[in-house]
Amino acid sequence: MSDPAIPMLARSAARAMPSGLAHRLLSLSDKGIAWLFITPTILLLLAINIFPLIWTVYLSFTNYRANRPGQVIEWVGTQNFERLLGSEDVWGYLQATANFVCWTMGLQVVLGLGLALLINRNFKGSGFWTTVILIPMMLSPAVVGVFWTYLYQPQTGIFTYIVNLFVNVGALDMIGSVQLAPWSIIIVDTWMWTPYIMLLCLAGLRSIPDYLYEAAEIDRAGPLQKFWYITLPRVLPFLMLAVLFRGIENFKMFDMVVELTSGGPGSTTELASINLKREAFEKWRTGYSSAFAVILFVTVFGLGNLYVKALNKVKQ
Amino acid sequence: MTARANSVIQAHSVVKAGAAAKWFAAILVILYALVTMVPLVWIGLTGFKSPPDSIAYPPEVVFEPTLEGYVNLFTTRSRQTDEYIASLGPAETWYDELVRKRNMVITGPSRFIDRYTNSIVIGFGSTFLAVFLGTLAAYAFSRFKIPLKDDLMFFILSTRMMPPIAVAIPIYLMYRTLGLSDTALGMIILYTAVNVSLAVWLLKGFIDEIPREYEEAAVVDGYSRLQAFWKVVLPQARSGIAATAIFCLIFAWNEYAFALLLTSGEAQTAPPFIPLIIGEGGLDWPAVAAGTTLFLLPIVVFTVLLRKNLLRGITFGAVRK
Repeated sequence: MSDPAIPMLARSAARAMPSGLAHRLLSLSDKGIAWLFITPTILLLLAINIFPLIWTVYLSFTNYRANRPGQVIEWVGTQNFERLLGSEDVWGYLQATANFVCWTMGLQVVLGLGLALLINRNFKGSGFWTTVILIPMMLSPAVVGVFWTYLYQPQTGIFTYIVNLFVNVGALDMIGSVQLAPWSIIIVDTWMWTPYIMLLCLAGLRSIPDYLYEAAEIDRAGPLQKFWYITLPRVLPFLMLAVLFRGIENFKMFDMVVELTSGGPGSTTELASINLKREAFEKWRTGYSSAFAVILFVTVFGLGNLYVKALNKVKQ
Repeated sequence: MTARANSVIQAHSVVKAGAAAKWFAAILVILYALVTMVPLVWIGLTGFKSPPDSIAYPPEVVFEPTLEGYVNLFTTRSRQTDEYIASLGPAETWYDELVRKRNMVITGPSRFIDRYTNSIVIGFGSTFLAVFLGTLAAYAFSRFKIPLKDDLMFFILSTRMMPPIAVAIPIYLMYRTLGLSDTALGMIILYTAVNVSLAVWLLKGFIDEIPREYEEAAVVDGYSRLQAFWKVVLPQARSGIAATAIFCLIFAWNEYAFALLLTSGEAQTAPPFIPLIIGEGGLDWPAVAAGTTLFLLPIVVFTVLLRKNLLRGITFGAVRK
């Protein structure tokens, strides 16, 4: 990373010696500049992302344990993968993850699209209130998880109190009960990320030219028809982009849930990433957990590919 | 390219809604906004409650404010007998007095300030590096013909998609070997690598919007490519660079998984530390709330500053308002 200020360096060099090296620096070919500018980033990503990735793939075929550095690493073939895919527990974690992803996405699409349609009516002060609504999604998920444990306190928390204002259900042990714990994380995620879906839907709505609605008006289309034939098709690519991105993020979900329920009670909210952390950094089964990591990689990479395709579609 | 982007911006549709429909929309949206703010306002208030007030039922909206939570956040205390406290003589400061009311004496500062400082150092350090590298790469991607450009851009984005816990295993091993575990430098490098993908994608969008004619004119005037980049493009991209920097800073500030796994004593940032405040002597919710408030407040401010560029930031620059 010795190229922090090439132009500055070049200019001071140019002052020192009017020809020669300085001239060569200043008149770098476009191709030279391009590679000079891109290489550091690519090298950094290779070192911090690709090299570790390859290492993970290698470790996934071994029985390595990171807490025993002296131990000889043994090649065990696909044993880790067989054990993972054959384990009912692992399928349980994946199912909990899928459950979490589906419910959060469903709720957030309904709420987010609804809010966007309302905000798009451009009432006075809509800009201010939109900003207020956006705040939760910028916060640290881990810290959000911490303070929701306080709000969720079964006997004294404000969540129980507010729910009891409407329905008299008594103390709600959102985090401790097997039935409610999955909902506790779904509620917090929805609170946090509905604004994301809303913001993208709003962008979609604002990209619809007025003349489409005017033309529909001339054709005497009703509001439902306008929504179905004009609004929805135009918003859909944005909505899909949002769902795909949030879906990937929630598939990887770790920080908020660790702080809120840490996977419990039992393993009702033990999402894939949380189990992975347990296997890798508490049980120190590095080889086995590397195999799990590879499985998650492949899934996320596939989804990521779809995401980029959706991105390009939205761009057009 | 730019002209097209502009025409999309100007084509904003304004759905003409009747007055009643507008009122209806406004009421629902404001209602949602108020509900969504309840948790945050509640945490802000709890920071000023005494520990008994913080666990009262029904929850207390009106209470006697105290700075006990903040004092507890910044200090470590030990419980003492009445005789011992009496033997100390009158309390010298208001915070000594506050603590002694609970039969405690202050034994020293807590580690919160260290953790907060770490968050600032690592956040700004990695942001600077990521934006610096990102600006260079984004300029090259925006202006030059690069073989496999789309594949490289996808590669850069895909690194951001990886689950942090999955990458953490080899990085943990790598850092252990290199002696980078639990160092600020290690965390700065790591966060730079995660953020640089966002920086490249965002900044490419911003630089794409700067007309090429500006640079071409500068080159005609005798500037070299590099000089044109330095004197023409960078000043034009200033606001885009600032927005990108804030996004990187927010990510580094909020990051938890790597910080939890790769730091313990020295370089730990605030997010893994805040839950540890709960520890001593039962649940000290006001202190947790105080720490949470101090940690989240800068982000709320940044969100308000960023509101025009928020959409770009969260979609890697793909969607522009």
